[in-house]
Amino acid sequence: MTRPLFFLMAFVAAILISVSAMAQTSPPSAFGAPSQRQAGPPAFTAPDAATPRAAPLQAKGPLGSLLSWVAQTQQKLQRQLADAVKRLKTGNPLAAGLFLAGLSFAYGIVHAAGPGHGKAIISSYVLANEETVRRGILISFLAAGLQGLTAVALVSILVVALNATGFQVTAWVNQLESASYALIALVGLYLLVTEIVRLWRRRSQGEGAHAHHHDHDHDHDHDDHDHGECEACNHMVDARDIAGPLSWRKIAAVVFSVGIRPCSGAVLVLIFALAQGLFWAGVAATFAMAFGTAITVAALATMALGSRELALRLGGGNARWADAVWTICAIGGALVVFTLGLLLFAASLGPSRPF
Amino acid sequence: MSWTQCGCQIVPAIVLAGAAMFGLSSSAAAHPHVWATVRSEIVFGPDHKITGIRHAWTFDEFYSAMAVQGLDADGDGKYSNEELGPLAKVNVESLEEFGYFTFVRKAGSEKFLPLKPPEDYSIDYDGTAVTLHFTLPLQMPADPNADAVTVDVYDPSFFVAFGLAEKEPVKVSGTPSPGCTAKVETPDQESAEAAKALTESFFSQLGPGSDYGSQFAQTVKISCASQ
Repeated sequence: MTRPLFFLMAFVAAILISVSAMAQTSPPSAFGAPSQRQAGPPAFTAPDAATPRAAPLQAKGPLGSLLSWVAQTQQKLQRQLADAVKRLKTGNPLAAGLFLAGLSFAYGIVHAAGPGHGKAIISSYVLANEETVRRGILISFLAAGLQGLTAVALVSILVVALNATGFQVTAWVNQLESASYALIALVGLYLLVTEIVRLWRRRSQGEGAHAHHHDHDHDHDHDDHDHGECEACNHMVDARDIAGPLSWRKIAAVVFSVGIRPCSGAVLVLIFALAQGLFWAGVAATFAMAFGTAITVAALATMALGSRELALRLGGGNARWADAVWTICAIGGALVVFTLGLLLFAASLGPSRPF
Repeated sequence: MSWTQCGCQIVPAIVLAGAAMFGLSSSAAAHPHVWATVRSEIVFGPDHKITGIRHAWTFDEFYSAMAVQGLDADGDGKYSNEELGPLAKVNVESLEEFGYFTFVRKAGSEKFLPLKPPEDYSIDYDGTAVTLHFTLPLQMPADPNADAVTVDVYDPSFFVAFGLAEKEPVKVSGTPSPGCTAKVETPDQESAEAAKALTESFFSQLGPGSDYGSQFAQTVKISCASQ
């Protein structure tokens, strides 16, 4: 359990370091201190003289230098991504292709810091359920892969086949986004309701059915949560059982609800690559991005599970403590999935953006 | 049942954990998807008052490719004014919901001066980047001879990252009084104001629907030498 976590963390750290090196920005010197912008080395492609360039973004406030650094790094990554696609036409295709793949992968890792990518949703979901680290990682990868696939399918059908306008693509992306958030809220609601129903049943059994407490008839049938005897038998396995059975249907539901929302960054890269006559490069970049996103999300989900494991261990072998930890995780996680889905859904119904 | 007693203590913990998670995710959500380079012209009328602002916003290559996708109706590889006209119209019309991302104030005032719908709008595409041109008239002309006027261009949600151009971000046009200039305020001048806003902006980074983007706003100040 701790080993995959460690490897993931080390991997993400290494990627982030190489990304910041690639993006040629200096990290903020101190928390809150005004950032000293260094005269960086020249970018590897000369900026188009005709196109005006914005001065680097500078944020005010206590986290200003950190926020500035994040925003500037994102912008540089995006510009380099555009240059990398264009260099496929002019430079050494193999070198440019590898560079594009690496850059997209890094972009995916950094870009995953948004709820639409299912970071918070998948972490909360695995927290709320009896999911192992391996399954948390699997869910992260399936969801990110499906997001990439949705983006490629959307652009292939709308743009390659139908020559739709940018507006039409944006409209589709927005609709899929709303649908995804609504489904996420439903998944959260389902988790919440089943959890509350189970707790309520357990409670009424505990109060009314003392006769069953000591019969120790453990058939370990996970669909029948008959755990009124938990306190009496006092062993951990029962406490773990309460979080829920393995259910491929539930996993498919969360993967689908997160995955049908195409990553807007991937859609932009695909259309840009297509405009350059290099659609395949956009497809490759999309999946490299999805891989990066999956790693970030998987690392966060693993950390969430690690915290739960830690919380369980703090109680020693105390079944009541374990019970409480599971209840917090199940209700809290379901609540976060439901609330996030609902808020994101409401926000996605706002006025259409001009850009 | 002891677990229900436990449950009472659990409730605040759940609420806290949920709030913390939501706060984190919503602040992380505030990453820009579109980048725009801003050049603005402060337009003066014959009475030496500011009548409006003429913007030229140049977008990043990714957004630009998306924006012109499918608009080359005659397939000649060029994007004419007729082909890009509808795009300009939709863009400026949907800007209204967002206050045109342009916030004009008398210096020191908290109140924004009302703007009229955009005029003279057009889009050009140089093969790399799309530039949206439009004029935003002020409902009531503002007199910078009386009070300095400030203009901020930003998206509070930070979906669009607006940044002033490195070269010639602002200029004045029309008939300003002699000595009237438009300048980008340096962060130093604003440090006092920024310090005041410390607490607010710290919390705004955490909350949903926050004013996250305003932290990146660069203020243009129009003042006249007579002051």
